[in-house]
Amino acid sequence: MGVVYRAFDETLHRDVALKVVKKDARLDSSASQSLLHEARASSSLAHPNICTIHEVGETDGELYIVMELVEGKSLRDLSAEAGLPPASVMRYGAQIASALARAHDRGIVHRDLKTANIVVASDGLVKVLDFGLAKKIGSGVFDATTRSFATMQDTSSVSGTLPYLAPEILRGEVADYRADLWALGVVLYEAASGRLPFEGRTGFEISSAILRELPAPLGPPVPPGLWAIIQRCLAKEPMQRYQRASEIQAALEAIQSGAIVSAEPTAEVPSDVGPPKVVVLHSVRHAQVRKGDFLLLVGTTKGAFILRSNAQRRRWEVGGPYFHGHNVYAMAYDGRAGQHRIWASTQNYWGTLLRSTDDFGKSWTNPQQAPIRFPSDTGVSLKNIWQIALGRTEEPNVLYCGVEPAALFETRDAGETWSLVRGLFDHPHRPRWMPGNGGLALHTIVLDPADGQRMYVAISSGGVYRTNDGGRTWSAQNRGIRAIFLPDKYPEFGQCVHKIAMHPERPERLFLQNHWGLYRSDDGGENWTDIANGVPSDFGFAVIMHPRNPDWVYIVPVESDEFRCACDGRLRVYRTRNAGASWEPLVRGLPQKRAYETVLRDAMTADSFDPAGIYFGTRSGQLFGSRDEGKTWQKILEGLPAVVCVRSAVVEDAAGGLRPTSAKAAAQTAPRQQTKSRSTSRTRRSKSRSKK
Amino acid sequence: MPVTFHIPGALREFTAGQRSVEIEHSPATLADALSALCMLYPGVRDRIVTEQGQVREHINIFIGNENVRYTGGLASRVAAGSEISIVPAVSGG
Repeated sequence: MGVVYRAFDETLHRDVALKVVKKDARLDSSASQSLLHEARASSSLAHPNICTIHEVGETDGELYIVMELVEGKSLRDLSAEAGLPPASVMRYGAQIASALARAHDRGIVHRDLKTANIVVASDGLVKVLDFGLAKKIGSGVFDATTRSFATMQDTSSVSGTLPYLAPEILRGEVADYRADLWALGVVLYEAASGRLPFEGRTGFEISSAILRELPAPLGPPVPPGLWAIIQRCLAKEPMQRYQRASEIQAALEAIQSGAIVSAEPTAEVPSDVGPPKVVVLHSVRHAQVRKGDFLLLVGTTKGAFILRSNAQRRRWEVGGPYFHGHNVYAMAYDGRAGQHRIWASTQNYWGTLLRSTDDFGKSWTNPQQAPIRFPSDTGVSLKNIWQIALGRTEEPNVLYCGVEPAALFETRDAGETWSLVRGLFDHPHRPRWMPGNGGLALHTIVLDPADGQRMYVAISSGGVYRTNDGGRTWSAQNRGIRAIFLPDKYPEFGQCVHKIAMHPERPERLFLQNHWGLYRSDDGGENWTDIANGVPSDFGFAVIMHPRNPDWVYIVPVESDEFRCACDGRLRVYRTRNAGASWEPLVRGLPQKRAYETVLRDAMTADSFDPAGIYFGTRSGQLFGSRDEGKTWQKILEGLPAVVCVRSAVVEDAAGGLRPTSAKAAAQTAPRQQTKSRSTSRTRRSKSRSKK
Repeated sequence: MPVTFHIPGALREFTAGQRSVEIEHSPATLADALSALCMLYPGVRDRIVTEQGQVREHINIFIGNENVRYTGGLASRVAAGSEISIVPAVSGG
């Protein structure tokens, strides 16, 4: 706006800024007088964050304004490209809001607040320039961005810069000081992100966006509190915004204070309260589980189900839904050391919990304190638990959980206390792992049964990591795995691995379903070879092993990254019986027309019978099973919420601990009578889990 | 005057079934008030705030009718006699 000179005030011996605005036809005499009047009013604003106007006047047909010389950089320059750190945005924003509050209290509206009008001195002090000068100046002094707007309509009563204009101004309504609060929202958005909230190639597009569209959300590193404040400033209706600049100042100062809820939960519960640690579910239908029964544990996006059958696996009794409305991404059956415990992770707006039941769902733990939690020094909060993995047989109290954001937790006391595996969390690669579509999750944990110190994890998107020393140190094991979404297609790490599987009899060999790519490693993850030989697509999620034959692997290819549905609308499981040299489709009993199904990474499992059963659930809520290793399929259930996890288990006989090796033998070990002592009976470990 | 928390149904199993809980002393900020509530009823804490002490993303807390998201979150001032509501956000899916 005009030309600014650095000048020296010879009377008061100080450096000043001298702004000269050339009068033109559009700045007529009355407008000129009005401008002078406003400038004089603004000069009365004594505030540390407002650039002081010393003098205004008119000479030789030009208006001049003498003001405080502010040395620094404009907020526009500072926030160009990626934006400023959130702490700076909040600090500067509070100062700008403070300046607006003072001006508004004096009845002065800025009308052209924008990052170019805000200067930040080297000591962090913010100065807002040009208070009250925008009105009546008209298009003659609009900057380049504004000119396109000037061509749109008569600007005689409109001032400001288009991307910062409030909707009510564009609608031609009477605008007040709350238009400044809108502009502050635009300024905060721009400062936080380096881009404007409402953009377009033409004035019309920008105006349309301001009037109708919501700004693209600002995620990390912008904290939710700052984003909430910006959103409130950018409410289309003035009544929905903050009503005072001082409210914005208070909000910005408050979130800077970093207040948190202090009282860490204690184990001590006031004696007169005694809230339940276990919730007993009376209104849910439970499966009546007997020893020798076969179970399918089904986790969905709206709760968990427990399906009971016997070794024949023909008829199913359904228990649940447990945890109405919660995401249940991980379930596990732990039959070690005589227990029959079912684990489930639950996630909804009240947080993420790991819970368990020892009576097949009749009662579940409901811990007061979330058992899995990131230490305070990490600054990280648990979002979801993606995997529950049992430790080795000889360590029945050990379990692992893979979580989002990507990290591994371990318990050595059967889930009483959990600790973050620091060796992986502190890995130098971690800051460069990237979230995939489902978030940044550690979703797969594979223990080497032959080497008590060796373990693999898979992270989307981080790749495969292996420890050989019980979790103290980890190395990326991704040589040969493609990452189509990175400039380097074969990086050391950063791959979006969807699932890995190992057969316990061949622990040196791993199979891997990648985000595009199907691989096998024969050397403990050192090198990976493509084995997508004859599959319709090498995109997919689930990969599981046959329970006995280490050369047999099952997958469900989906069409593509964009169209994550069964190829050609035909739901086909593919099986290899030669470790990936060739694959065969298994379709008998599966829908082959308009079956746009998706089988997610943990939604497929096998049982331990002979012949083996294979089970999978789909995102559309169908559950299929095969009792003959995939040769024929039956629909077990439909109408479920989206299935995200399927696990199998055999509830072993307390007395004999018989492990069924054939369907016939298993059937004989499945007495039908109800056992009242079920909850305390001793059972032996099931070998029914397919991938652990 | 005490500050009163209105407890949603999902959390009442952790407040001995109480629909509202009064905090007798005068908390200055919402963080103080919540800390006091969590001292009384520890099970409430992890449902409302993350392990880092921040209000969960999809939980809204209102002081009177004002969502604290817009008043500085946990540092929002709590006047004597305030009524504080804990409400899950509207969500879809």
